[in-house]
Amino acid sequence: MRPQAPTARQHPEARRRSTMLALVALMSLLGVSLSSSTAVAAAPSLTIVSPANGAVIANGTSVLVDFLVSNFAFVQPGRVGQIGSPNEGHANVFLDTQYIRLLTAVEPFSLPVTSGAHTIRIQLVADNGTLLNPDVSASVGVVATHGPDEGAPRLKILSPTPLEATGHGIYVSYRIENFTLVEPRGQPNAPSEGHVQLLVGTDVVMEVIQYEPVLLVSLPEGDITIGARLVNNDDTVLANPSASATVAIHVVASSSVSLPLVSNGGIALLLAFILVVLILRRRKLAARDANARGGSP
Amino acid sequence: MNARIFALIVAIIGMLVASGIPASNGRGAPLPTLSVISPTPNVVIGNGTPVAVVFAVTNFNLTEPGNGTSSPNSGHVDVLVDDMLTAKASVNTIVLALPSGPHTIRLRLVTDNGSALNPDVTASVAVMVTRGPASGTPGLSIVFPREGALVGTDSTLSFRVTNFVLVAPGGPAGVPNEGHILARLDNAPYAVLTHDAPLHLNLKDGPHTVTLQLVDNEGGPLNPNVTASLHVTVQALLGRVTPFDATPYLALVNLLIGLGVLAALYRKLEAR
Repeated sequence: MRPQAPTARQHPEARRRSTMLALVALMSLLGVSLSSSTAVAAAPSLTIVSPANGAVIANGTSVLVDFLVSNFAFVQPGRVGQIGSPNEGHANVFLDTQYIRLLTAVEPFSLPVTSGAHTIRIQLVADNGTLLNPDVSASVGVVATHGPDEGAPRLKILSPTPLEATGHGIYVSYRIENFTLVEPRGQPNAPSEGHVQLLVGTDVVMEVIQYEPVLLVSLPEGDITIGARLVNNDDTVLANPSASATVAIHVVASSSVSLPLVSNGGIALLLAFILVVLILRRRKLAARDANARGGSP
Repeated sequence: MNARIFALIVAIIGMLVASGIPASNGRGAPLPTLSVISPTPNVVIGNGTPVAVVFAVTNFNLTEPGNGTSSPNSGHVDVLVDDMLTAKASVNTIVLALPSGPHTIRLRLVTDNGSALNPDVTASVAVMVTRGPASGTPGLSIVFPREGALVGTDSTLSFRVTNFVLVAPGGPAGVPNEGHILARLDNAPYAVLTHDAPLHLNLKDGPHTVTLQLVDNEGGPLNPNVTASLHVTVQALLGRVTPFDATPYLALVNLLIGLGVLAALYRKLEAR
């Protein structure tokens, strides 16, 4: 028989020491475990880098959205044998309230946007599509326009020139700067886009979306004022004074002679000529008769 | 010793069978699935914007086409628009620029070499694309001239269209919020308008009725019908100032001179 080794039961001091050691080891393990779990479970975060909130997306271009994610791994949902983990998933993208993208990579993406104000929202979700707890999302507001993003809109009438005498129909030409003409079809207002209103006096006689000269017809005769102004999609006039212009002109009749006037006048002249000829001939005959009778009439 | 090894081998095989490793080949992994998340079926995509198709797959690894590793549980998605292969997708979103009209977008899971899975895994969604707005009631109004106006023979009519886009006739049928304007003069067709430029009128003297009507790509009225009418009276030389119109006086002068001519002729005849 082998001799038995001394046990803790036999030595209470050794037993206490070993218990203490075990407790210390357990506490150490617990500490390591807790600290490491804190590192792993750091909350995911999401930041939209670009565009800036309130940015104007000009010239009808798409908006390029750039974003940053931390403590979250992007993976394709629905992989074979996929087992979701708390800090893994993908992102959903919403334009206003419409779901438009599922992102599986942290890469910039482009969104076409119509004129007006929009909200772009990115939301992190787990592999199975459920929201994270707490929710992790970021949003940014932008304003899209077909117009430029800088410069005050301006309109200047090039023709007719001030106090010009014109006929009843004239071409009005103008120059537009920092403003893009778009069809008004009930869309929201957007900066530096809209259409042109042409006025005779204070009456709006035309709404156009052309940069070429516009023909105005049937202008009333006399001293009148022609106006042109830039307006928003909903027809509200731009507050900027340089977005409208007027020019005073004088409309004169190109020809106010009518056919009855011409014919009546012609006939009158012809008849008058005949009458004069007849009178002269009668006087001539009378004079000849007087001479034939010896000078006495 | 041999018996122990044999028993161990049998036990391992038994455990493998119980854990289902051989069965994974026999039964096969769960079948891949495919579904379209967005857009919703029959949705109207307005303003001619590209259609963003978001789809979900399960039990399938999306890979770039042409990576050379072909397996029944990995590959990409073929995108067919109206039964024509339009694109390939290896991410869960694809953006399609589509013309106006109804379209059916069908997605199909394929392996890397392009062959369909067995069984075929597809999903489809029908959408309607329009260059007009996706929602809103079309409207039409005449801006100038005003109702009952007195105008000259040569005039222009300016109008405003809302929630509707004017396009050339002949587009696909049934597309909401796009079409053109049919202009009628005194109930007779006068012009087809496909853009917002004012309508030039050249009318005879008298009262006239101009009616504008929004019509769809086939020329049919909208439902409900959208029209705008205007009554005008045309007067020649309207707006022209004639300081002194001598026409009636000249007629009187003609008469008097004519009488004078007759009198002169009569006296001449009498003298003979």
